[in-house]
Amino acid sequence: MADERGLMARVARGDQAAFGDLAQRYSPKLLAVAGRLLGSRADAEDAVQRAFLQCYAGAAGYNARWAVSTWLYRILTNVCVDELRRRATRTAHDERSAPGAFSAASGNHQPPAAYLDLHRALARVPREARVLLALRYVDGLSYGELARIRGISINTVKSQLARGKTLLRDELGKRGAGHE
Amino acid sequence: MSDVIGDVSKPDRLDVLLTEYFRPETAPAGLARRIAAAARESGSALERLERRLGIEATSRGVSLVRTGRPAKPATAAARRLAEQAREEIHEYLRGQRAFFRVPVDLTAVPDFQRRVLEAAEHIPFGEARPYAWIAARIGHPRAVRAVGTALGRNPVPLILPCHRVWRSDGGLGGYIFGAGIKDGLAALERTTPVLEGCTSTRIVCRVGCIHGRHMRPDNRVVFASVDDARSVGYRPCKVCRPAA
Repeated sequence: MADERGLMARVARGDQAAFGDLAQRYSPKLLAVAGRLLGSRADAEDAVQRAFLQCYAGAAGYNARWAVSTWLYRILTNVCVDELRRRATRTAHDERSAPGAFSAASGNHQPPAAYLDLHRALARVPREARVLLALRYVDGLSYGELARIRGISINTVKSQLARGKTLLRDELGKRGAGHE
Repeated sequence: MSDVIGDVSKPDRLDVLLTEYFRPETAPAGLARRIAAAARESGSALERLERRLGIEATSRGVSLVRTGRPAKPATAAARRLAEQAREEIHEYLRGQRAFFRVPVDLTAVPDFQRRVLEAAEHIPFGEARPYAWIAARIGHPRAVRAVGTALGRNPVPLILPCHRVWRSDGGLGGYIFGAGIKDGLAALERTTPVLEGCTSTRIVCRVGCIHGRHMRPDNRVVFASVDDARSVGYRPCKVCRPAA
């Protein structure tokens, strides 16, 4: 942990090698979160790149009381949530508009067949709960960390996760692939 | 480093499934290098544009945004509005503003052009619409070329978003500050969030609201909609009214 904060201090001083290290270390988990939230590998790489750029630009404002991972997850989820907003607006427009408008370039990334039911069920979970589920399961983050990342209370984290999982169980149950 | 999944209950099948589904991915080779390269070159063309901008205003609102030296403001009110516009454009070009508050003065603009510019204002931040969309919206579906001309003469570009109007085939079309800047603005708006909440006040604002200006970076969370923010305990700001 201490060496991570040292790494952030070097990033804040504009140390490119330290920035490379940081990107190397966190990319796999950030890619998983972004990929599952946005549904496509290309969009995920784009989101992770943007998150790191913001992290680089804002490294001086990094709060050393935070774990570096918490800071990165905050930035990444901010990027992903905004991308989800943009898609929702775009879809609403595309559904209303006549031909000639721009088509929504949403990702048609299909997960492995084993996860297809879960993938579809997750799409029915409200956005905020979906984001929390992704963070919870990609890195086993605690309720406290989740609360800090999304800027909400621990009780809200708990109720959102519980609600999300209930919805998932219901959806998976309907498809006959739920838990026993 | 991080806690294990701290459920009181034992992980059930859904937990196992979710953990599998969200397992980390392999990062592509060179991602870190690509990111570092992008960090070196971001934003420079828009910053150069900003330095060259001249802004004119009347006491009613901003009347001209062009490159070059502006005429001197005639009144104190006009000077204040020009300063406000400069500040808002500065924040906008840095990804810290998703809407303009400064009023514009279109009294010298012909009626057709004013309707075109007002229609362009309805294109959401970060989106684009074809010239034909504007033409249809103002009730002149065949006047696509005239719409292009009217947008090209937009006296207050950036503030009235003629840069969000593209060709139907997805091509950029022309732009008063050049196609490179039009493309840069599209990229900027794609990466500027629209709604942000403050974690200490639990208030959600439009990005650029006066409340957000003093927000610490570690207090900033982005939301996809006001309803989403409400669902986790935030309330909409009464100053910028993000729900409206």
